[in-house]
This record gives sequence, C-alpha cells and structure tokens, in this order.
Amino acid sequence: MRRLSLRLLFCIWTVLISGGLASTAAWGKTADEVVVISHPGLALNELDRDTLRAIFAMRLRTWPSGQGAEVYVLASDDPVHATFVKEWLSVYPHQLQLAWDRIVFSGTGQAPHRVRSQQDMIDTVATTPGAIGYIEREYLDERVQAIARD
Amino acid sequence: MSASKPLPGIRSVGCRLGLLAPSLLVPLLLVSTAQASPLDTFQVHGFLSQALVITDDNNMFGDSSDSGGSWDYTELGINASIRPTENLLLAAQALSRRAGEVDNGSVELDYGIVDWQMLSDRDRTFGIQVGRFKNPFGFYNQTRDVAFTRPSILLPQSIYFDRTRSLGLSADGVSLYHEERIDNGVIHAQLGVGQAQVDDDVEEVLGLDVLPGSFDADTSAVGQVRYEHDGGRMVFAVSAASVKADYDSPGAFPGDGKLDFQPWIFSAQYNAELWSLTAEYALRDVSLTGFDAFEDNENQGESWYVQYRRRFLDDWRWLVRYDSLVNDRDDRNGTDYEREGRGPAHSQYANDWTFGLQWQPHSRVMLAGEYHYVDGTAWLPVQDNPDPEDTERRWNMWLFQLSLRF
Repeated sequence: MRRLSLRLLFCIWTVLISGGLASTAAWGKTADEVVVISHPGLALNELDRDTLRAIFAMRLRTWPSGQGAEVYVLASDDPVHATFVKEWLSVYPHQLQLAWDRIVFSGTGQAPHRVRSQQDMIDTVATTPGAIGYIEREYLDERVQAIARD
Repeated sequence: MSASKPLPGIRSVGCRLGLLAPSLLVPLLLVSTAQASPLDTFQVHGFLSQALVITDDNNMFGDSSDSGGSWDYTELGINASIRPTENLLLAAQALSRRAGEVDNGSVELDYGIVDWQMLSDRDRTFGIQVGRFKNPFGFYNQTRDVAFTRPSILLPQSIYFDRTRSLGLSADGVSLYHEERIDNGVIHAQLGVGQAQVDDDVEEVLGLDVLPGSFDADTSAVGQVRYEHDGGRMVFAVSAASVKADYDSPGAFPGDGKLDFQPWIFSAQYNAELWSLTAEYALRDVSLTGFDAFEDNENQGESWYVQYRRRFLDDWRWLVRYDSLVNDRDDRNGTDYEREGRGPAHSQYANDWTFGLQWQPHSRVMLAGEYHYVDGTAWLPVQDNPDPEDTERRWNMWLFQLSLRF
C-alpha cells in the first residue's frame, strides 16, 4: 500500500516536472545562432549587453553619433525573437513586451518596428540608416554589419 | 536582389497612419522638412476594454449588485507619437473611461508631452518633458488604464484607488528624467512639478460635493527613483508626491480651505521566467485645513499588498493577491470614526483577497476573469454607493473583461 502511494507520488512528480519542461521547450525551437545586425553605415561594430538592452527596450533613442536608432524586431511569439531576447539581452520576451507597452501607453517612447520575416529583417536593416535587428546566421550576408558582443 | 524594392512586410508594432496625422502635428512636420522623413516615425496605438462587474452587495462601477451585474466599465484610448528630430519626441493620448458614477466616458487628454532628450549616450540619458505627463506612482500608475499592462482587471485598490483617481493621475507642468546605466542595472529618476488634476471625484469622496465651492489645483510635485537589476529580474522603486489644492468657497460656508495629499510608495518586484512576486507599501498623509465649517483634519493612511503571478501553458496567467488599506492608522478598525457618528466603521478599512486568471490567445487580445473577497469598503466608490449606511462590510465581486490593443 505504501509502495503504491509512493509510486503514485512519483507519477504525479514526473508529470509536474515534464509539464514544466514541456512548457519551457514550447518557448521556441532551439534556433540557430542568432546574430545582431545593423545598417552598414553604423559607426560601431560591437555593443555590450546593457546598451543592447537599452536600445531594444526603446529607452536609448540615439546612437553615440547622434543618429536615431531604428529598432526592428520579429513577432513576439517568433522563436528567433525568443532566442535573441534570452541569449543577447538575458530577459524574457513577455518582460520586453511589457516594457514596450508601458513606454507606448505612457507617452515616454515608441514601439519598435516589426517585420514579418527574417528576410524582411535583413532587407530593411540593410537599407535603413541607423537600423538594428537580428537574424539567424544562415540569413546573414554582406549587405549588413554583424555586431559583436562587447 | 534590389535593396530598394518596397517591403510590404514592414509595419510598426502598432500602425503607421501618416494620413491621419492630427492637425497639431502638421506644423511640426512642415518645419522639419530637412529631416530624412519624420513621418516614418509616426505611430498610432490604441486599446479598448469592456468589463462585466458582478457583486453580491455594494456597487462597483455601476449597479453591479443588480441581477446581471454592471457593464459600466469601459476603457478606450488612442495615442499618436512622432520623432520630428532624433532627440525630440511628441506624444499624446486621448482617453475615454466609463466607470459607473465615477467616470462618464467623456474624452480627455490623458497625456500630451514634448520630450527633449538632451543627453543620450551609452551610460546615461537625460531629458525633459513639458506638457501633461503621467505621474510615476508605484509600478502601475502611468499605464493604469491599459489592461495589457495590469496584472489583474482591477489594480490593487489600496494604492491605485479608482474613486479619487484624478489626484494622482497626471500633472500639467515640467518633468525631468535621468537614466543611469550601470553594470547590469539601470537607475531611473524622475521629478515632475506642475498642476495636478483635482476633479469632482475628490470632492465627492471628501463629502464636499454637496457644497457650493470647488477645488483648484495648486502646484504639486511628484518624484520616483527606480532601480532595475539584471534586465528587470529585480525592480525596486520609491515614489513620493505632494499634491496641493485650494478650496474656493463662494460664501462663508464651508469657508476657504486647503487639501494636502502626500503619499509615499515603496515598491519591489522579483521576476522569474514563469512567475513574479510583487509587493508595494504606501503611506498617505492627507490633511484638510482652514475650513470654517469643520475642524482641521489630518490623518495618515496605510496601504500594502503582496501579489504572486504565474504563467502557464504559454499564454495563461493566474494571480493571487492580498491587499490591505486603512484610512487612518490611528483608527485602524474605524471604531472611533463610528463612535463619532461619522459613518460605519467598515468604511475605514478594506482587506481584499483577489484570485485572477488572464488568457492572451493573441498578442492583441486578452480575456480575464477574477474574484474578490473584500472585508471593508474603504475604497468602494462613494459615487456608486451614496449612502455609506447602506453598504455591507463583507462582500464578493466577480469581474470579467475583454481587452484589445493595436
């Protein structure tokens, strides 16, 4: 009897654990390496995490040169977005979304520009001065500048 | 491939509606033609919420205790923003809010600011906002009417009370902000000086609405210092304000007087991947002085809540919260208040257990439901419950809400 209840407990435990893992995994297929890209005219080629956070949280509106920063993102439920946000900014997509909502609806800033696909992302970043975005490495080509982690 | 082909996939997270640029923006666009194209930075966003409120006793936002509840809680907002130059931001939001007898849905300017970022580099940002700005009170005040930024349908009423919401909502004046980016953290400081909004709700709650005079807002100040650690994993904030208003009495009764409202709010939040824990504590000094009709009245109210929120199945969240308010720390149970014949004791405190559920099937759609078990009526809108003797001490409330945004 005791054995049975132990087994039952173990079962419940397993279900709880695997449920937790499943919901974490559903966050996004493990995307290929995500690279941060900018317009080729941007006068810097590396950024530290704190600056990237400020740029993507829409709190830093200009580059050190004074040029306006144009921030491009994929849809919030896109796995590449989730990978970028977690790996490069070390925050969660829902936190970033809330930060944007708070800025947009309090008049203290603007929302980032959204693109539908990684192809749109690279095409736009390549042709928009001051633009920054991210893509999987396989989409990378010489029209944009890859930004290194400082 | 051609780099200059039109890119149909691009849009801002909201909408770019260049054609709908409000007339106030047009002159600015004309003077800044030297710019690449400021119109590219034009954005429009909006939100809409409709709630059903059901109570067993007492009324919240309309006749919620009647069978069928009250549909009298609607929030509708639309805003526009543009960056005519790199360091200038113009933003304005119109808000229509219907909330029982508290708000009638008339369209108001929620905020309207010119924001000039004088300094912006890797380590710090410094700027000034001129116009009507939202007060940085606690974690939620600046976007309190946007359901998507709230953890629950009703914000914790002990701190974000809706019955005298005009007092803390926004101010017309000047606000300075400074953001310092330190290693793995951000310190954000803001100080605003201007005229607060002191609307009829304040007179109604103070019981002065039956009298002939009215309040005129005086110069007020509000400030907040917030520290966000590790991209927002931990957030701490201290907010303080001093809101002043002068009561202008046309006759000798009740006489001219002054209202002084000084709240302090201490806020802390921990955010993990799947859950967050939030607590805020507030002390409020309220004084009414100088009136001929009654003695000077000064007291200190106290509010706090603890809230746990958890995400599950990707787009669901549940929440549990305990929220507590006392109007007067020297009379926590309201017994003195009742003995002096001023009203029922339970009108001087409120303890609220909240259980909430939110589902966001799409990034622009949210459905929410919640249940409140409340002991006390201290934040119950007097506008919806004109006779305090008719209120019940213990009451239950259910709310359901549909929210949209773009």
